Amino acid sequence: MGLLSIIRKIKRKEKEMRILMVGLDNSGKTTIVLRINGEDTSVISPTLGFNIKTINYDKYTLNIWDIGGQKTIRSYWRNYFEQTDGLVWVVDSSDVRRLDDCKMELDNLLKEERLSGATLLILANKQDIQGALTPTEIAKVLNLDAMDKTRHWKIVGCSAYTGEGLLEGFDWLVQDIASRIYVLD
Amino acid sequence: MEEDHSNPSEVSDKTLDSIAQKKHAAMIERLSNLHQSRLQQAISRKSDSNDSPSFESTKSFLDRFSETKKSIEMEIDRCRRVSESESKSSLKSDLDKVSVSISDLERQVAENSYFLPSYEVRSSLKTISDLKETLESVNYELLPKKKFSFKNKTTKKDQSNVVKNETEIRASDSVLVENCSSIKVRDSPGFHNEEGAVLVKHFGGSKEGDFTLSDLNSCEVRLTGSFRALFIHRLWDCRVYVGPVLGSILIEEVEGCLFMLASHQIRIHHAKETDFYLRVRSRPIIEDCNNVRFAPYLLSYEGIEKDLGDCSLDEETGNWANVDDFRWLRAVQSPNWCILPEEECVNAVNISNLKTPGEVS
Repeated sequence: MGLLSIIRKIKRKEKEMRILMVGLDNSGKTTIVLRINGEDTSVISPTLGFNIKTINYDKYTLNIWDIGGQKTIRSYWRNYFEQTDGLVWVVDSSDVRRLDDCKMELDNLLKEERLSGATLLILANKQDIQGALTPTEIAKVLNLDAMDKTRHWKIVGCSAYTGEGLLEGFDWLVQDIASRIYVLD
Repeated sequence: MEEDHSNPSEVSDKTLDSIAQKKHAAMIERLSNLHQSRLQQAISRKSDSNDSPSFESTKSFLDRFSETKKSIEMEIDRCRRVSESESKSSLKSDLDKVSVSISDLERQVAENSYFLPSYEVRSSLKTISDLKETLESVNYELLPKKKFSFKNKTTKKDQSNVVKNETEIRASDSVLVENCSSIKVRDSPGFHNEEGAVLVKHFGGSKEGDFTLSDLNSCEVRLTGSFRALFIHRLWDCRVYVGPVLGSILIEEVEGCLFMLASHQIRIHHAKETDFYLRVRSRPIIEDCNNVRFAPYLLSYEGIEKDLGDCSLDEETGNWANVDDFRWLRAVQSPNWCILPEEECVNAVNISNLKTPGEVS
């Protein structure tokens, strides 16, 4: 009884979540991950391939997969879909011209069956730049209200440059995933 | 019992007796206390398990699971059969109840997933998603009108909103775009649709936002002071001199141009026969480019040192030569780009002395 209950407790404590960060190139995915992790964001090259960061957040362990967004490597995104608990779609709110591209890529992603159960957090990044679209405007352009009713989603304005909004977004994401997968406590 | 068995002759015996008595009573008390607390524990355990069923045994969980599943299926069936006679409103609430019980079941699986074998977890989750699908299709079958109107309404409303919003937002920025009679819906502040012009702009404070250069033909662009982000799209035969950009620069579809840029990040897509004079804090990247050449940043204007310092770009990092070609993921040098030979580099450009707008080469 003693040993068994210890093992059970340990198993319960291993609360891992797999989080996939995607979005067009230049949207700030890597900067967001490094900012959350409290690392230096002053020298970040465009991501060729992917980065993985393991972050302890609350009582959960987040495995964040930051996937490069250049057009050439977008076709490789699907290699990372398996077992994804949370999907973070990052938008450059100041890049008005490519919002169409952004909508198209997001729509394609949401058709993916392997991601159908994943919680979706949309980060409207670069809110600190003057003239950036607000989260409400982005939600309208991306037509988020027309999304499948069963999807859990939320859009949050943020700035990887100042750090604003990032915690709010990730708090919601982790709580939502936790309420689906783990005991609510 | 010792009390009855008294022995008046021996006093010492009596005292012994009373000590034993006390010990005995204390032990009885302890035992009964222990029993009580055990009982209480058992009761509290029972009530706990009533609150949230925790089975800790795969079989009892599965039994309960299949029971619940059966009752949900029966309920869905009932809704289906009853639909002809019953009114729509009660049907809707019934279906909502089914949906709630499905999510209850899902929660139960989640709560007990830590001891279930992974196969059982997977198959239970599969069952739940099947149930959800059935419910969805029944929903669609029985209440089709509702769903249709919902879809229709949102898409229609959103489309009109998008267009309106875009014009609203960007209308305020259009002041910056002079000589441009027809402003497209999606233009950001910047220079658009020009031919053979010299376009000059100075950015004052560090609070400046993004700027765009698009659809320029045979123009010279001089941007002094620092700002946050630069977008460049469709430029032909242009010379572009830009002060430090704090954030990133994104370049798409340029041909036969010369760029002098300093920034945190630079991405270049679809560029042909173009020379880039760069200072970058990270590695510049190219994608779908041909015959592009790279050289160090050679720009100067009055006050550029301070602007570069503000953006932490005052030091030469040498990154202008560390180009990553996303179309050439091999160890050998990409055929799409090269370093500009020193003898072909232009001389250092000082744009604060160039005062001749209108002069086009």
